[in-house]
Amino acid sequence: MSTPLRYSLLAVSFAAFICAVVVLRLGASASVEVPHVEFNADNIAPREIEDLTSQSVPRDYGFAWQTMEQALDENRPALLDGYFTGLAREDLKDRVAAQLKTGLRTHYEDRGHKLEAIFYAPAGDAMELHDHAQVDVQIFDGSKVIYEEPLSMEYIVLMTPGADRWLVRQIQALPSEKQ
Amino acid sequence: MKTAITVIGVLFAAGVAWPAEIHAPAQTIAGSAITISTSGSGEATFYLIGPASAIKQKVQAGSDIPLDGDKLDNAGRYVAVLCASDGCTSTSFSVNPAAANKLGMLVHPSRVPIGKPNGISTVAFVFDNFHNLVLKPQPIKFSILPKDGKAVSTNRDSENGVAWVRISSGNKEGATKIGAEIGHADEVRVVQQIAAEACNLRIKAGREKNAFVVETDPVRDCAGNSVPDGTVVSFTKTDAAGKTTVDVPIKRGIAKVQMPIDGRARITVASGVVTGNELEVAGSQ
Repeated sequence: MSTPLRYSLLAVSFAAFICAVVVLRLGASASVEVPHVEFNADNIAPREIEDLTSQSVPRDYGFAWQTMEQALDENRPALLDGYFTGLAREDLKDRVAAQLKTGLRTHYEDRGHKLEAIFYAPAGDAMELHDHAQVDVQIFDGSKVIYEEPLSMEYIVLMTPGADRWLVRQIQALPSEKQ
Repeated sequence: MKTAITVIGVLFAAGVAWPAEIHAPAQTIAGSAITISTSGSGEATFYLIGPASAIKQKVQAGSDIPLDGDKLDNAGRYVAVLCASDGCTSTSFSVNPAAANKLGMLVHPSRVPIGKPNGISTVAFVFDNFHNLVLKPQPIKFSILPKDGKAVSTNRDSENGVAWVRISSGNKEGATKIGAEIGHADEVRVVQQIAAEACNLRIKAGREKNAFVVETDPVRDCAGNSVPDGTVVSFTKTDAAGKTTVDVPIKRGIAKVQMPIDGRARITVASGVVTGNELEVAGSQ
């Protein structure tokens, strides 16, 4: 085999290896899918929602849930930095830290969200929303399932605009019925 | 009959494990201690998973598990699980916000021109001591305290944990305090009221050494407040050579510019949408 051909094969093999690593890495980061978010801003007040905001809020809320589910499943607190801020981020990081300490993890099967915007501050610097979420939750201690339940949850959510996205600042579950 | 009683007695004596069960109150208040009761017997593991916590501890099935209030600070849904040799059993309960005792406040903007109707937006979020959003309607008193002025207040009930008002800015420049109050808790923000657009903008021309200088009278708004330094004033000279505009920020209340004048020229002044007087000058002046 000629030297140029050998080098070419080596380069192709190296490129294939890099591609494989990238694909595996992407696969890991997309192990939790972005949940479906159905958004309704018909009753928002006192400020009317802008077209762009009505697209970015449900998109970013979906990303927030995706990263939260992945953070709680894989106990990776850094994932919470992307779409959470303030006490919501601190609380969720506390939860992940406690899960790490106790050997627990929480797995979600997200069946979608009905997100309704109910308050938009006059200056456009805060939005309050109501989320009706359908999730199947499993809690593991190591590899053993200690709890599993399909849930229909209600959340009250505060979001504030960041530099290029809307961030979840508060997410609080309300008493709701089990399915 | 005698045999059955004997068998049950023997089972008790042998310490046969009964299925473990766990019971919690359906709801509690954030920061309040509760007791979770369990049934069964033998060693077990107790888990409590909440919005910001995950606890795991060894317990004796059949005993009560006391939970301190500091383990239940966050409002939301908690899951209590008891795992014994025969498997796991669980219950869930809600922790509701405690009494409203804190406000989060957003006031926008931080600087507002005087006399602007509904120019200041104030939003108050109602929280308990643990920073849980309190959704029950709460009366909130909003107040505005202008510098050297009389305080004005208005009451609003919160809805879904939020109350808001729009406030018109006053007629005097200076710092104005905007406050919101609930029970013993209050929050205050300061909004700087600044002069509105310039009014009656006037310029005069003169010589300083060998240069031709055009300057404004002190720039004020229609209520007599000084327009803040840094506000841009535009001087425009029109002569035979064409039109030249110089933008100058106000310094110590006036805007001043040196302009070379060759022949006859017309000088005008403007700030924002406001125009001032015109000057006809000649280079020999």
